[in-house]
Amino acid sequence: MTHSIAPIERAAQSSVPQGKERTYTLIILVDDRPGAVDRVVGLLRRRRASTQTLALVGSERPGVIRVTAQVTDSDVAVDHLLEQLRKLVDVRQAENVTRQHSVMRELALIKINSSITTRNEIIESGRLFGAHVIDSTPETVLLEVTASKEKIDELITLLEQYGICELARSGNIAITRQSSADMEEEISL
Amino acid sequence: MAIAAKAMQQQSTIHQTSQQEEDIRELAGSHILCEALVREGVELLYGYPGGTIMPFYDALTSYPTLHHVLVRHEQAAAHAADGYARATGKVGVCVATSGPGATNLVTGLATAYMDSTPVVAITGQVGRPLIGRDAFQETDILGVTQPITKHNFLVRNTEEIADIVHEAFRIARSGRPGPVLIDVPKDVQQAKAYYHPLAAMTSDEYLCLHVSPRPAAYLLSHAGQLIAQSQRPLIMAGHGVILSNAYAELYAFAEKTSIPVITTLLGLSAFPDTHPLHIGMPGMHGPAHVNEAIGVADLIIGVGLRFDDRVTGKVSEFAPHARIIHIDIDPSEMHKVKVATVPIVADAKVALSALTEVVAPDDKNVWLEEIRSWEAGDNERLQGVRRNNELPDPIGIMQAIRTATNGEAIIVTDVGQHQMWAARHYCWTRPNSHITSGGLGTMGFALPAAMGVKMGWPDSTVWVVAGDGGIQMNIQELATLQQEGLSVKVAIMNNGYLGMVRQWQHFFHADNYSETPISGPDYVKLADAYGVTGMRVTQREEIETAVQHAMQIEGTVIIDFVIESEANVFPMVAPGSAITNMIKEVPEEKS
Ligand SMILES: Cc1ncc(C[n+]2csc(CCOP(=O)(O)OP(=O)(O)O)c2C)c(N)n1
Ligand SMILES: [Mg+2]
Repeated sequence: MTHSIAPIERAAQSSVPQGKERTYTLIILVDDRPGAVDRVVGLLRRRRASTQTLALVGSERPGVIRVTAQVTDSDVAVDHLLEQLRKLVDVRQAENVTRQHSVMRELALIKINSSITTRNEIIESGRLFGAHVIDSTPETVLLEVTASKEKIDELITLLEQYGICELARSGNIAITRQSSADMEEEISL
Repeated sequence: MAIAAKAMQQQSTIHQTSQQEEDIRELAGSHILCEALVREGVELLYGYPGGTIMPFYDALTSYPTLHHVLVRHEQAAAHAADGYARATGKVGVCVATSGPGATNLVTGLATAYMDSTPVVAITGQVGRPLIGRDAFQETDILGVTQPITKHNFLVRNTEEIADIVHEAFRIARSGRPGPVLIDVPKDVQQAKAYYHPLAAMTSDEYLCLHVSPRPAAYLLSHAGQLIAQSQRPLIMAGHGVILSNAYAELYAFAEKTSIPVITTLLGLSAFPDTHPLHIGMPGMHGPAHVNEAIGVADLIIGVGLRFDDRVTGKVSEFAPHARIIHIDIDPSEMHKVKVATVPIVADAKVALSALTEVVAPDDKNVWLEEIRSWEAGDNERLQGVRRNNELPDPIGIMQAIRTATNGEAIIVTDVGQHQMWAARHYCWTRPNSHITSGGLGTMGFALPAAMGVKMGWPDSTVWVVAGDGGIQMNIQELATLQQEGLSVKVAIMNNGYLGMVRQWQHFFHADNYSETPISGPDYVKLADAYGVTGMRVTQREEIETAVQHAMQIEGTVIIDFVIESEANVFPMVAPGSAITNMIKEVPEEKS
């Protein structure tokens, strides 16, 4: 191992700088035991990290839950948060995947007001974003779309003119990728 | 680690199969709980019975090696277990029923959590069919204690009891210690299951297999270089030194490098106050020369401490010229408050001995002399302070206790001015002889904690130093002490005030003494009512005789020292100020 001996000079303190917050994506694998997910969420609450999205679901390993959390905080605070998460007995792994090559996707179900005149327009708009029609009645169209959060936001803006009567979003889930293709490219697909 | 534990478990299972088969028995959950506690080496439990924990209490009478102490309030059970754990390094155990019994443990668990002490709490819970239905005395104690325990468990079936008990002890003891709670529904205690005594590894077996690794060589050499280059280095020793039993290693490291040693409030007695390299306690009430030394230091070697805000004051102005070598077993402490130039995540004992090997012997005497000259200047200045000479004084009380016990006593302090006076003016030489609630600052801690300390060290003298406010918070434990035939000496520094709060009101709220004058009982009569000895001391010259007299009396003794009512603890750093910006006692002041 080569390590530079010269001391790394860094800021004199690690107190959380104001106004330096950004959004981080964390993947946390926890054993599915009573209270395990509570402890993860409780820690986020105690830290007052502002949680943007939280997705909880099983993983490829039986008995292990995969928590994808997006939090807004400063760099320093996120590093500390990760160390604290790793300390929880049921947590097997906690990673910040924000800076890694990772793919993030969200699922949205969007119910839009429609009429005979707007129906085709709505479906066409959705198609541009890869949305499928799940259900349709004379008054509404239900679209399903899987995309990045940004794309979904865009689609929603586009559909707002017709009137959105109900919206369900899953929150982001993320996975790191092996290839080094640029994340942005992937998003724009 | 969990995998290794499993492997060992399987291995021991194979080895012990024949014996184990003989030992497998069908037992009620309550008995399995007791069996597992016995296997963990538990000898003492502090607790209080009630509906949902009754099966456990029923089983308890079949286990004569488990000595149960019936406290008079569950909070005291948690503090006593904590005191026992702090004094012995073993796990302290407390027991309570569900609902109010369990919630009464909360303050004690939070106290243990903040100061990283190994405690296991066992609570009864309503039967499984009733959970979540607002049954009588049902409290979601897992939810309540989640942020104040290292971990907590709900036992879902009788088969898992033994495994959970051993895991709880392992978690409480390993790494950075902390409290663990086990919530056991009543029907789980009653149901029967096969108990395989050797199926699970005890925490001892686990810890034997998991010795703390030596820090990486590059970190050690980097640290060694910083030490060699430094002109004004300081060692700051915290609770971690005591928790990892690293007294000898700290001593050897300090002597080899001749670096001056600071001990934090919870680090007091990790290094002898009498050693020429020891300079004192840092922070809000540390002596001026210590804070001044930190202000100009070029290197801080922090061992087993977390740079608490009472130590650092305003963080950006704490040790502004220093690089930091931070040794702590908890990775989440690294860079939390101060960014460390060399972060060493390791057990203090292992890290200090490894570091001692890589450093060259050195002599930093010039620097020590400089600090000593500031200290001498300050002492000279304080000669001019006029003092009341009639009433018993806190310094005199601490010195009298020290003299009467040869420094061999264990001192348990409560929270307030007396705590700071004790920390500052007792000369700490016996390792781990100072026990106090540092992180949470829990009033009412001292008396019940001292009960645990005394039971851990039955042959040592144990003194409680408490304020007239805090002693009234768990005074009922005199009955428990009496019932157990324990002898604890209690010094009350009675100033008729919630003194520390009054001191803040004096400095920061224009002497508006809102709700801080406090009255108390006649402690001599109170002692008498509890069947212990009480004395009142109102003259300074009586201090020593009273302390000596207390030492000669067999049982518990309370001495009510009537001290000056409005004395302040000096120096003082206002919260949020730089620690070099101290409010000092001025010679003109009448006190
Ligand atoms: C349980 C609890 N309640 C309140 C406080 C806040 N507090 C800190 S010191 C103090 C005064 C303590 O008074 P006393 O026990 O008489 O000690 P003194 O400061 O007078 O020596 C108080 C109220 C606390 N630390 N703990
Ligand atoms: Mg008082």
